[in-house]
Amino acid sequence: MLVLLAAIFVLHLTCIALLLAATIHNAWWVTGTVSTDIWARWTLINGQWNYTELPDFYPKEYLQAVQASSVLACIFCILGLFVFVAQLYTLPKGKRFLFSGVFQLLAWLCIMIAASIYTDIFHKDERFGSYGASFILAWISVCLTFISCVTYFVLRKKTV
Amino acid sequence: MLSVLALTSVVLLGIASQTTAIVVYTSWERHALVGSDVRLSCSFFSWQWTSPDVTFSWHYRPDGARDSVAIFHYGGGAPYVDNKGPFRDRLEFVGNPSRRDGSILIKNVDFGDNGTFTCDAKNPPDIAGRPSSVRLLVFEKVPVQAGVITGAIIGVVLGLLILVVAIYYLMRFLVARRVFSLSMSKHGKKGKGKEGSQQKQAKTESSPGVHLLLTTCLAFHSLLFSSSLL
Repeated sequence: MLVLLAAIFVLHLTCIALLLAATIHNAWWVTGTVSTDIWARWTLINGQWNYTELPDFYPKEYLQAVQASSVLACIFCILGLFVFVAQLYTLPKGKRFLFSGVFQLLAWLCIMIAASIYTDIFHKDERFGSYGASFILAWISVCLTFISCVTYFVLRKKTV
Repeated sequence: MLSVLALTSVVLLGIASQTTAIVVYTSWERHALVGSDVRLSCSFFSWQWTSPDVTFSWHYRPDGARDSVAIFHYGGGAPYVDNKGPFRDRLEFVGNPSRRDGSILIKNVDFGDNGTFTCDAKNPPDIAGRPSSVRLLVFEKVPVQAGVITGAIIGVVLGLLILVVAIYYLMRFLVARRVFSLSMSKHGKKGKGKEGSQQKQAKTESSPGVHLLLTTCLAFHSLLFSSSLL
């Protein structure tokens, strides 16, 4: 039982770490000299990395939607961790961790919205470059938050 | 002490009597919608009194061009508006030279008006100074400021979340209170046999009361915050 609890806790922490990495690190799209999105662009000029603004042709509303939903996913995941710990102590025996599951569900929805919008709208016609680390981490956190959410909805509280 | 005061006053008078450079102020950048009117303001700071011979002159350099053309001049107490160049019939003098204001109004701006406007003011005998420039940017629609939509979405979603949690606790509290009052009035006459279990129930059901107060306060604060964001 304790092992299961530790595993679920570690899974939740992993979700938080991946979500934060995907949101903060500007590496959704990389080329040889550019590492970009969703906040700014790193450009390699004369051997030095410079922090520059995102280009103007980016559709502004979609970009801000991706920013907002990835930040919201991080917030919901972190809040969900605190709610899970609180529910560990206050939940009566035999009940399910519904409240924590709801937070993880919201986090899953938000990061899925962010990743889907980004995949469908940005960098569709560019030939040079590939999706970077943050993009991959975002999609991995989609899976992990979903697994975590289902776990919370299924798990019942037993005395440790 | 008195001698120090006298010395400083002499030094200050000496500085003030010199003709120091005039400082011209304009905005850094102006954003305008196509077809709207835009007012370019120009003012100056000078140690001298505003002379009746004060002059303002505006020059315009289109984006990408190297030379600038003169479009406006105020001198000898009268404004002279350009009637041959790119701003004929669109330029109007709206300033007040006696109050050091040399602003002009450009009506019905178009994309061809993108460029740099330079204002040069001279206040005799204070004539040594650098002119100041303002860039005009004409947009089809006003661009959304960076981060406004992001902040609005986050604020609204969090506000809704807190509202839902508050309503949930409110409903639970109201239902529990109703059940408690109903059961009290029912079993109050039957004696104190079941009083022990009623009290226990009342204790666990009234703890949401404190939660309720906290969550409603939080809800109102977050609603105010998110509405101010929007």
